[in-house]
Amino acid sequence: MKGIWWKVLGPVLVLYSIIMGLYGPVPRLPILNETIRVLYYHVPMWFAMIAMMLGSLIYSIQALGEKNGADLKAFEFAQTGFLLASLGLLTGMVWARFTWGAFWVNDPKLNGTAVTMLVYLAYFVLRSSVEDLQKKARLAGVYNIFAFVMMIVFIGILPRMTDSLHPGNGGNPGFNQYDLDSNMRPIFYSAVLGWILIGLWITQLRIRYKKLNND
Amino acid sequence: MPTFASMQTMLNIIRLNFRLEWTARRSYFSLLIYILSTVYLCNLIFSQSISLESWNAFYWVIFLFAAVQAANRSFYFESDRRFLLYYGLVKPEQLIFGKILYNFIYLLVLGIFTAFFFALFMGLAISDFFAFGLVLTIAALGFSAILTLVSGIAAKAGANPALPAILSIPLLYPQILTLAKLSLRSLSGFSWEVNAPLLIVLALLALVSLLLSYLLFPYLWRD
Repeated sequence: MKGIWWKVLGPVLVLYSIIMGLYGPVPRLPILNETIRVLYYHVPMWFAMIAMMLGSLIYSIQALGEKNGADLKAFEFAQTGFLLASLGLLTGMVWARFTWGAFWVNDPKLNGTAVTMLVYLAYFVLRSSVEDLQKKARLAGVYNIFAFVMMIVFIGILPRMTDSLHPGNGGNPGFNQYDLDSNMRPIFYSAVLGWILIGLWITQLRIRYKKLNND
Repeated sequence: MPTFASMQTMLNIIRLNFRLEWTARRSYFSLLIYILSTVYLCNLIFSQSISLESWNAFYWVIFLFAAVQAANRSFYFESDRRFLLYYGLVKPEQLIFGKILYNFIYLLVLGIFTAFFFALFMGLAISDFFAFGLVLTIAALGFSAILTLVSGIAAKAGANPALPAILSIPLLYPQILTLAKLSLRSLSGFSWEVNAPLLIVLALLALVSLLLSYLLFPYLWRD
């Protein structure tokens, strides 16, 4: 993406979501209470992560088509995605401690997160254990495509087959109906968009840095 | 699409793989001994009073590690110049399907052996043999699709002994989670109406893995 507008827009949207997220009105719900505000800080991480992993997938497909530099971009997108996943995990753990009483519980969505992070760690290990650049691009590309499909299956399809402790599933007081809360919706969507833009910016900076280092 | 000639090629690949492994029989026997010793280890730890849940969990963990080791050898004989020889002889799609079929048979046999040793040392826990066999068959197919491709990646990536396990185990989680639930029910009593959706999910996972291996292998193959 060209220009400076989106680099301004991203932080502005995130700042808006932070201020309005703490200040704005929220519905009072049993169990959740004020922790419903985590919707603005925890859930956008996963949306942004999926966006970064999607970018990584697209560049991996290009890398299989022998496009120069695509492999590096795929790698940097996956790294930013991994960073966002770690942040999402941390914010989720803090929230879970206060809502469910434990940092880690056995929940399909948490399993999905663990798998996603393990798969991408394996991808990083694979990339670092091959020296030859062209071979690295091909092997990592093949694995990344496989990993993305399995991640979507794991976080998108399997949780729907079982109950989850998460709000909105299995009889828990939910976000689903309160997403429609007209006060929460704009703040939530601006947080999602803001974090995606910031993720893109981080990735772009890292790709430039790597390119300068290589030249 | 598989014509008669390409089926013939795939059968030849399976036969060749079997012959090569059979000339150095130790890999077959070492896997059998691995299964025997780990199952016996379970027997020692549990001293024969094992719950169905533990039976199920240990069965699949032991089978998973045996499968990773078995499939890791898929491209053992091709790591030298033989890759170049094959390059002119067969299409990559035929090669990967041949290897997947070979591993499928291999894993199925390993699974049956593991179940046999479990029954021998820790009591026969299976109540619905047909359901358990079906789950094992679909699992062997899905596992072999993923493990064969991953062992191809690991073979090309060079010597990092931990690589096949770390690359393949997270990819296998969706299948393991589904089939562990199914097989536990086949131990305690299986209802086809309740479990049909999960069986379809398991079969679809195997199908997706097969399709991905088929589509992606040609890119590994080129050098």
